[in-house]
Amino acid sequence: MSLSDLGRSITGALRNITSSDDIDQPMINTMLNNIAKALMASDVNIGLITSLNNNIKKNLQFEAGASAASKKRQIQKVVYNELVNLVDPGVEPFKPKKGQANVIMFVGLQGSGKTTTCTKLAYNFRRKGWRTGLVCADTFRAGAFDQLTQNATKAQIPYYGSHTETDPVVIAQEGVKKFKSQNFEIIIVDTSGRHKQEADLFEEMVQIERAISPDEVIFVMDASIGQAAKMQATAFKKAVDVGSVIITKLDGHAKGGGALSAYFQAVQSMGPISQVMGMIPGFSQSS
Amino acid sequence: LFGSFSAALRGDLTEARLDPALEEIRRHLVAKNVPADLAEELVAGARGRLLGTQVGPFQSVQQVIRDALVPSLQRILTPGASTNLLRDILLVRERERRPFVITFCGVNGVGKSTSLSKVAFLLLQNGLRVLVAACDTFRSGAVEQLRRHVDNLSQLSADAGLDAQASLIELFAQGYSSDPAEVARHAIRHARAHAFDVVLVDTAGRMQHNRSLMQGLARLVQINQPDRVLFVGEALVGHDGVDQLREFSRILRQQTAGGGGSANARGIDGIILSKFDTVEDQVGAALALTWTSGQPILFVGVGQHYVDLRKCSADAICAALLS
Ligand SMILES: Nc1nc2c(ncn2[C@@H]2O[C@H](COP(=O)(O)OP(=O)(O)OP(=O)(O)O)[C@@H](O)[C@H]2O)c(=O)[nH]1
Ligand SMILES: Nc1nc2c(ncn2[C@@H]2O[C@H](COP(=O)(O)OP(=O)(O)OP(=O)(O)O)[C@@H](O)[C@H]2O)c(=O)[nH]1
Ligand SMILES: [Mg+2]
Ligand SMILES: [Mg+2]
Repeated sequence: MSLSDLGRSITGALRNITSSDDIDQPMINTMLNNIAKALMASDVNIGLITSLNNNIKKNLQFEAGASAASKKRQIQKVVYNELVNLVDPGVEPFKPKKGQANVIMFVGLQGSGKTTTCTKLAYNFRRKGWRTGLVCADTFRAGAFDQLTQNATKAQIPYYGSHTETDPVVIAQEGVKKFKSQNFEIIIVDTSGRHKQEADLFEEMVQIERAISPDEVIFVMDASIGQAAKMQATAFKKAVDVGSVIITKLDGHAKGGGALSAYFQAVQSMGPISQVMGMIPGFSQSS
Repeated sequence: LFGSFSAALRGDLTEARLDPALEEIRRHLVAKNVPADLAEELVAGARGRLLGTQVGPFQSVQQVIRDALVPSLQRILTPGASTNLLRDILLVRERERRPFVITFCGVNGVGKSTSLSKVAFLLLQNGLRVLVAACDTFRSGAVEQLRRHVDNLSQLSADAGLDAQASLIELFAQGYSSDPAEVARHAIRHARAHAFDVVLVDTAGRMQHNRSLMQGLARLVQINQPDRVLFVGEALVGHDGVDQLREFSRILRQQTAGGGGSANARGIDGIILSKFDTVEDQVGAALALTWTSGQPILFVGVGQHYVDLRKCSADAICAALLS
């Protein structure tokens, strides 16, 4: 289900209730059910849906003798508030500071779009006049450094990496050091894809974070992800200090379903979120 | 004893007893990453079969529903088509004396190139000669990625003391921005001339609704008529997985039908489910993909190394879904 479909479904569920003459419990249950179904069809985490429903129920306390109209107003307000609570991170987004080094570390599951998005973000900063460099701290994936090199070259962004050094912690540290010594303002560090089930990979990520003390850690999430989003996003947040999330591949379809789930999960546990995609002219969306 | 037994059996499954339990099971399936509409369909089927029947003495309603779901799940997970790739390859080698061509396709970043390399490893171990065709001529580093895999696999074969002639792997690449369908055609010609047993065709990731990229894939299939077109999907995917596979099948069929009508049409012949190691028991994507396509899962990817390729076990997936 696309984001706009979801919006429509939720509005529809609300409209059903507001267009009837009186409000009773079965009607409220039907509305909650319809909202839950719409969210489920968008891959929103099932636990999140349950807690949303419970919160709405809890906050819907009608005063004795309240009119149907005032009940309806209250329902709308409570549902709206709870949906907003899901989405609102309540934190200020990360703002890099001019004239000093801002180190940004990318993390995420395998194939989520880290390397591609690193370049898009770097390009975006470079175009706005920031001195920007890219560091490839992925020594695991075959061809990772070639990929970053080719992307960075196309986007005309200085990069650092190695075909021979096998320790990503060392590369990350050296790369950041080199760019700092040359007064770069934005230093973006790409890392390998990983997942919570492999403790060694998570440990490596923690060590890179420790070695470079990033000003911001960005978690990159694929819009098509399903119910596993919660388990993985939560684990990343627990391991490193994720400050923002970028959702990729939104061009796949209007179906931002999983993205929505990812989004809800992410903003609840991680903070501000941005969407970066297809920003580089001459770069097609998926390049 | 007999008396109390039959008394307990008189637990009629009325709507009032069944429906709340069905709702619970539906949510359980959704939490396992089964798409909501499929979960609903499964539960509705179970409801039809169970309504008015009786619960046994030591069973919970939930257990009865789970038992009733197993046959449907098994049926979805095990479509009829052959999953014995190795046998099919050997058959073509024996009877037609030509290389067997397998194309890997799917959306961006799901694990096509990695899965291809794992399949190559499996084939090498079985003494086959493998040509890898670098037909992702688009994504940065795609060719170097495959070259690295081919070098590694070559080295592994040598280390394992495999007969250099019998088991051999080579990369066929023509750089970037060349036409993938042409690269594949040349690769297949090269494979015929040099007695390769299998050609593994890597393709660029593409979004299922990107019309021109999808047409490009259809053209590659149309021109080269691979023996298998495998769809790589990741176990992480949610509802979009159904849409991906449906669109890949639909557009391929539509664009390859040509003048010959649907008789010539080529769709998806099988599925590789990657990143299975990242979802624990949330294995609903396995069900969603077989349900959508009626095609079997040939392999499951369970890690980032060459050995991390498994046969798909319907029993294990059923057990995980219902656990
Ligand atoms: N259509 C589309 N494709 C994208 C987008 N972002 C990334 N991709 C593609 O997704 C695939 C994976 O992207 P990468 O940047 O290599 O992903 P990664 O997270 O670095 O992968 P690993 O390093 O292997 O973990 C590539 O084919 C990218 O071109 C996007 O926004 N839209
Ligand atoms: N954990 C895990 N990671 C996997 C598996 N299969 C692939 N990957 C990882 O997923 C990432 C993307 O894999 P690729 O093989 O490059 O994916 P692709 O589909 O070829 O990507 P594009 O060509 O860019 O569309 C890499 O980091 C792989 O190591 C798997 O079964 N398990
Ligand atoms: Mg990468
Ligand atoms: Mg690839």
